[in-house]
Amino acid sequence: MILKTSELSYTYDVNRRISFPDINLEAGKKTLIIGSSGCGKTTLLNLIAGALKLQSGEVNLASHCYSSLNSSALDQVRANHIGYVFQTLNLIPFLSVIDNIALGVKFSKLRNNRTSDIKQEIIRLITSLGLSQSVLKKSVNHLSVGQQQRVALARALLGKPNLILADEPTSALDQVSSNQFLQELNHTFDAKSQAVLMVSHDLTLAPHFDEVIDLNKTYD
Amino acid sequence: MIKLLFKSIRARLLPVFLVTITLMASMVLLLSVERIQQATEDGFNQSISGIDAIIGPRASSLEVVLYTVFHLGKPTNNITMKTIDELRTRNDLNFLVPIALGDSHQGFRVIATEPSYFKYVKVGDKQSISFVSGAAFDKIDGAVIGADVAKQLGYQVGSKIHISHGSGESIGIKHDDFSFSVSGVLNKTGTPIDQAVFIDLKGYELIHLGWQSGRKIFNLDQFDMDSLSEKDLKPKTVTAAFIGLKSKLGLFTFTRDMANYSQEAISAVIPGVALAELWSIVGMVDQGFNLLSWIIIAISLIAMVTLIISSIDSRKREMTIYRANGASPFYLSMLVVLEALFIGLTAIIGAVIFVALATYFSTDYLITTLGITPEFDWIDLKEIKIFAIILLAGVMSSLIPAIMVFRKNLHQTLS
Repeated sequence: MILKTSELSYTYDVNRRISFPDINLEAGKKTLIIGSSGCGKTTLLNLIAGALKLQSGEVNLASHCYSSLNSSALDQVRANHIGYVFQTLNLIPFLSVIDNIALGVKFSKLRNNRTSDIKQEIIRLITSLGLSQSVLKKSVNHLSVGQQQRVALARALLGKPNLILADEPTSALDQVSSNQFLQELNHTFDAKSQAVLMVSHDLTLAPHFDEVIDLNKTYD
Repeated sequence: MIKLLFKSIRARLLPVFLVTITLMASMVLLLSVERIQQATEDGFNQSISGIDAIIGPRASSLEVVLYTVFHLGKPTNNITMKTIDELRTRNDLNFLVPIALGDSHQGFRVIATEPSYFKYVKVGDKQSISFVSGAAFDKIDGAVIGADVAKQLGYQVGSKIHISHGSGESIGIKHDDFSFSVSGVLNKTGTPIDQAVFIDLKGYELIHLGWQSGRKIFNLDQFDMDSLSEKDLKPKTVTAAFIGLKSKLGLFTFTRDMANYSQEAISAVIPGVALAELWSIVGMVDQGFNLLSWIIIAISLIAMVTLIISSIDSRKREMTIYRANGASPFYLSMLVVLEALFIGLTAIIGAVIFVALATYFSTDYLITTLGITPEFDWIDLKEIKIFAIILLAGVMSSLIPAIMVFRKNLHQTLS
């Protein structure tokens, strides 16, 4: 089991409390979380990523219980076990494409050691994600949005973290590109050790996933 | 981390560069003020050198230094030539140069002395007084003028000058019956010597022959010069005398002897001691400048902190991406502190190099215009201390944005 959440809930203020459904993710499994804006998708991702402090419930990621970890240990768990893809603006403008991807293993010895030849692995990932090697030398600012999201995905996959968290990574892409992006994710991630948890408001993406959780339903 | 820092700084080159320049400029100011202050103080304390003591009428040592070295104010009393002659017989003396003050030329003080003045009296770091043109006077009507006198009045060797009685043109009455001829023009020294006119003591005595109590009794042009003997031209009194001892070790004995001199109320003033005492009064201005440069440095540090704080907002994305990849808030704070350290160090190194080069290339100019000789030095221990304080203050003040980053990122979500 890679990820297991139980009875997570989050209180924004006195009147607004969201309870989340329990999530169980095994290696090779891909789960899509669907929900309209404001239903707590991002909050759930932040809780799982360890960026928000748990209020109630528990997150267990690769045998680490978040409630027993302090914030710096959480940073380390995130570095070691999570690859994160944002909606947009995933890349640091003053770093080259290859440096941006290499950030994925910069803060994790575990992921760094797992990758014997970082450059070779980066080339393998971007090629598998449909990019040509020539983008590595390009400035980040010269990439299209679709290319940028693939670079971000390559970073999230580098060093084989157990959990790929993606926050609406296709929201800036059209239907065709979105489907292509997810197909590439499908055949690039390592089903033996990795699981994917993606958040979106777009139900048409559902066929690419093993499981869909709808946050619009209440789970009280 | 360093590599990331540099790439990040390169992306924000202009604002970082401007702040570095601001900080550097303020440190150049501090360094310059400090160096000029040092050079001025050194120059001041070496307004006269090469002499071990000044013999003057018994008065405060400040007074004696004021009128003998700076040619300011009036001597209250004179010393008789009898005393001077008796002092000359002492065998611990290397030299004795008597001076008489009281007259002026177009507002410039006249110092009546002996030609040996130019041999023994030195300025700065034991530099001899040298001549641009001409030489010391060897005739009774010879005069040597300082660099400023020559420049302002347009005199050169051979120019005829009249000496006035008293220290100012308006109150003085001219000794217009006898003119002196410029025999030499001195090089710029950066000391009161530049504003002085030197004449022979014998010439001084001569123009005062027809005078009594500041009033002219008879004119020299109706006088038979040839009837004057060497003895007649020997002054009866002088204002002070510069003394050089054979051995510095004898200074204490010498000053004690002077204090106990029974025939006349005289005292020996050690110029270095009196000058340092005087500097402690006039040096106050420099303290003010020093304070001013520290204020400027404080302002520059505030500018640096402002830059870092305002850059944090534009670097929010950058910080969030680091954070999503597992960087700790401590790491992000360190980025901020290192940036301040880098800016501070660059500014310091830049300032040191700038001031060193500026000193190197402007030494000649400073000597001739201000009469100060800044020492060429990359950095000294006192400055290292100052810079350490600045750097520490810079890093300390960068802790404010660093803590902001730390707190923000600890509670910030990844969206």
